Amino acid sequence: MSAQTPRGWWLTERELREWFQQLIADGTKLVGPVDEDDLRIFRQVTSADSISLAAGKTQWSPKEFLLPRSEPLYAYTFEDGAPRLRDPEPLLADQAIVGVRPCDAAGLARLDSVFLSGTRDPHYQRRRDRTTVVSLSCVDATPDCFCTAAGGTPHGEEGADAILIPLAGRWLLRSITPKGAGLLARQRHAWPESTAEHDVAAENQRRRVEESMRRSPVMPEWPALLDRAFDLPVWQHLGERCMSCSICSYVCPSCSCFDMQDEGNPWCGSLCRSWDSCTFGLFTRHASGHNPRPTQVERYRQRVLHKFAYFPMERDGRLMCVGCGRCILLCPAGIDIYEAVRAVVEAQRNEVGASERS
Amino acid sequence: MDSAATPLAQAVDASASAWQPHIIAFVCHWCTYAGADMAGTTRRIYPPNVRILRFPCTGRMSPLFILRAFEQGADGVLVSGCHPGDCHYVQGNYFARRRFAVFRALLEFLGVDPRRLQFSWVSASEGVKWARVVEEVTQGVRDAGPISPWGRVQDHGRLALVRFASPADQAGRRPGEDERAPVLAELRRAASELLSSGRISRLIGYGESSLPGKIVPVFLDNVADASVLAWTDGCSANLAAYLPAAMRSGKVGIIVKSCDSKAVVGLLQENQIRREDVVLIGVPCTGVRVNGRLASKCFNCDGQVSPLCDLSAGGARPAAAAMGVQVAVPPDVRDADVGYIESLPLLDRWNFWQNQFARCLRCYACRAVCPLCYCETCIAEKHRPQWISTSIDGKGNTAWNVVRAFHLAGRCIGCDECSRVCPANIRLDLLNRRLAIEVERRFGYRAGQDAVASPPLASFRQDDSEEFIR
Amino acid sequence: MDNPYRPDLMRIVGVRDETPDVRTLELDFLDREAAREFSTAWGPGQFGHFTVWGAGECVFTIANAPPLRPAGGDVRIECTFRAIGKVTNALRGLASGEIIGFRGPYGNTFPVADWKGRDLMFIGGGIGMAALRSPIQYVLDRRAEFGQIVILNGARTASDLVYREEMWEWQKKDGVRVVRTVDPGGETPEWDGEVGLLPHVFERLALGPDGRAVVVCGPPVMLHFMFLSLEKLGYSPQQVVTTLENKMKCGIGLCGRCNIGPFFVCRDGPVVTWAQMQTMPKDM
Repeated sequence: MSAQTPRGWWLTERELREWFQQLIADGTKLVGPVDEDDLRIFRQVTSADSISLAAGKTQWSPKEFLLPRSEPLYAYTFEDGAPRLRDPEPLLADQAIVGVRPCDAAGLARLDSVFLSGTRDPHYQRRRDRTTVVSLSCVDATPDCFCTAAGGTPHGEEGADAILIPLAGRWLLRSITPKGAGLLARQRHAWPESTAEHDVAAENQRRRVEESMRRSPVMPEWPALLDRAFDLPVWQHLGERCMSCSICSYVCPSCSCFDMQDEGNPWCGSLCRSWDSCTFGLFTRHASGHNPRPTQVERYRQRVLHKFAYFPMERDGRLMCVGCGRCILLCPAGIDIYEAVRAVVEAQRNEVGASERS
Repeated sequence: MDSAATPLAQAVDASASAWQPHIIAFVCHWCTYAGADMAGTTRRIYPPNVRILRFPCTGRMSPLFILRAFEQGADGVLVSGCHPGDCHYVQGNYFARRRFAVFRALLEFLGVDPRRLQFSWVSASEGVKWARVVEEVTQGVRDAGPISPWGRVQDHGRLALVRFASPADQAGRRPGEDERAPVLAELRRAASELLSSGRISRLIGYGESSLPGKIVPVFLDNVADASVLAWTDGCSANLAAYLPAAMRSGKVGIIVKSCDSKAVVGLLQENQIRREDVVLIGVPCTGVRVNGRLASKCFNCDGQVSPLCDLSAGGARPAAAAMGVQVAVPPDVRDADVGYIESLPLLDRWNFWQNQFARCLRCYACRAVCPLCYCETCIAEKHRPQWISTSIDGKGNTAWNVVRAFHLAGRCIGCDECSRVCPANIRLDLLNRRLAIEVERRFGYRAGQDAVASPPLASFRQDDSEEFIR
Repeated sequence: MDNPYRPDLMRIVGVRDETPDVRTLELDFLDREAAREFSTAWGPGQFGHFTVWGAGECVFTIANAPPLRPAGGDVRIECTFRAIGKVTNALRGLASGEIIGFRGPYGNTFPVADWKGRDLMFIGGGIGMAALRSPIQYVLDRRAEFGQIVILNGARTASDLVYREEMWEWQKKDGVRVVRTVDPGGETPEWDGEVGLLPHVFERLALGPDGRAVVVCGPPVMLHFMFLSLEKLGYSPQQVVTTLENKMKCGIGLCGRCNIGPFFVCRDGPVVTWAQMQTMPKDM
């Protein structure tokens, strides 16, 4: 960005809503947090007023707008006995996802590193290319939050194109990427620019929220420690209460595993990709009946190690967990992934200590 | 994925200008199929809207088939078989009659017009009756109009009713609720004793979690752990869900509230656990809270320790009256919500549930926490054929939620755990409750009361009501 | 869209029953451009995803080797599968002339370059032979580049032995020895091969490790005992390779289910050395 680019804009609530409404009017698919049935979830909205930017996080992350719960990967029909295969229809509109908490935006960045490095996934990519993410910094942290322990902050910019920071009844809006700048290009001339004082206030807010979080950081050496802890008995204790649902994976901003099944009949249908989870027994069960991960203990171990060992070891230490805390909050068995990681690290350290002493 | 792609729906589209109902008739081989044949050989004329699928017996009819027909775009379904007493397999149609009665109530509760799902008994000699039944059913479906697409959501949230009308919201604290310390002390003492004596190798109880105030299940394997046990109004989880698996590795002690003990009854009834391998520690309960509100399941529960229990952690069993609980309980508070839904026009009901199911993530937490969902391989995981689409969309979600509810009909003990853990806040409790009402009304049966009773959908009476059958 | 999930169309041009439940299909690409693209990437040991529309996809090793001299753009691939699940049974229901989907090749190849000038031993148990057929064809096509070749093909019973006819062809080649064996009790009165579990038969052959590369494929329990025998006879983990098998959906390292620790079978495998396997967690 050039030196003339303002550090941000200082918007009233009304200016913010008008901006959102203008985006809708311009044909952008606007997605934001909506309150519905005691839940806050991301929905496409037709009115900017239905978006809720109040404190607190949504029940699950907005990842379904980049990796839909289910989507056809191609469709097939038989015409005169010969199969015809068709790619999905092109996307018609750009989408803007607004009100994304920094942890969730970081989660989208994790999905990027799965789907856009190595073999690129065109279905993910085409959505990503047309998506702009406006994140929303946090004014408080709940006891399950641990973004700071997972390498993020309540004002984190990873994965976001622009960020909204609520301050004293108004909004500090910063653009982060050219995409973000593009999203506010039409309106920004009408907005007052923010000042250095706003930045100081934002910084203070960030610090205040960070200080309210109690969990200490995941250390850089933990992935390697965890990787060596595969055979420790501690997993039994951690995993046995797991009930093999997939709440943790489906509300997770970074979980990206999927299933592929034919939907339809021998004449017409599609190959359909749907979310899937390592917590399900069927996930790895071979047709022969053999299952490398037969019980929830092995499956829970996979979940933890994938996020905190395998993924970071491959990707510069970045965790496949962004510390949103939803899995801790919603797990029917009350399993706390952060505590689990700590327990395994400690068990591994004891193990190493014991073998060194002997 | 798209209903427009199915052959049946295409056929429907093709004739959209002059809409004709499409009706699938599942008929039994021995009676109705022959009856339909008779109608043909005697040159009876009846509407051509019915496609006949022949089955060995109505007893073979699974609600899955009916669901699939609707899913594929059928406007109506007719199931027809032998008259009671005439079944080639002696009892098939008696069992079927019970299932149909309950399934029909479920679909109506979901907003499916009852004219779309009909049943009849037509014998091999009743060609005339068959023609009449088809005529009536076709007219009924014609009056009901084209079916609204199965699994398509219209207008998110328009009928998103927020825990409507629940008196649970108004409840204050109950007498006795603050006196949990003696119960907890007793629980810990009992746990230590059972574990140290070797009478059990594991105790399943409640403990504090890493989040303030949140209670989670804990497994205790040795005496020293007893101090982690907790007993608060957050102890909602039905620990019986762990029983079948936990008991594979030795004798287990488990803390049960009044509601939980009903699940244990269900497990005993269905031979999933052996009574001698489990030690039930009853705990007098003054109710649990979910999101700060007294759970609806607690309103008509006296909280008493079940006579089934081996031990009671609470000294003498408290008299219900002393706890300030009205013992003359029914109606169940959930019935107000059920009644509200039933007061809605069918289409609103349908849209309400479709909106609810559209949120479903298919995490299967409802199944995971349910003590009575113990199948080794769930129907949702069987794929030959795949009755329940794995796609997380309207159709697959509708099929899953309907089938889950129906499989628990007459078995659900109403602990509402499915509803509590559902991350999408789907009112599974109301589906379960509606079925429980139907089962009680029709068969005089309440789940979780009697470990030796026959489950209502695995039994029948010759004089079961069949007012809905033509 | 460059859609990695959309398969190429292939016509079934040959159907051969190996055993009562194992079948080999020969497949031709419908599209020559697809065939060309496929053949530029194809090496022995790779696998692919086969689609029967309406049933789904299944994963098999490509059971033949790239031809020595490509015949004018025509590429034929083969797969050998056991009808065991939904898709494999649907595939078995198809006849010659019908069209299926195929995407691939995926995964790595056998280290054929390292084998040059060495003696080779292929040990296959049951349908595990399917994974060995492409390297066997590869080395037989280039017979002069390799030393002595021993092929050990074992099955539970005589009727479960795959590639029965082909083994005679292999046997005819110079310096190739084919040993057939069935588990005790699996022999018929006419059986003229060995009787015994593969590790035992292997030990009886008493072939030393010097200068030899070994490829072993089969069910997990057979691999376990085979490795014990190999160890007993002094083979080093570096000179033994095998192929891994795990449930897969995408084949391209994204769907997240075939991993053994950080090792993704579809992306980093399926061919691994025994030495590599020893470093992997017991998650298979």
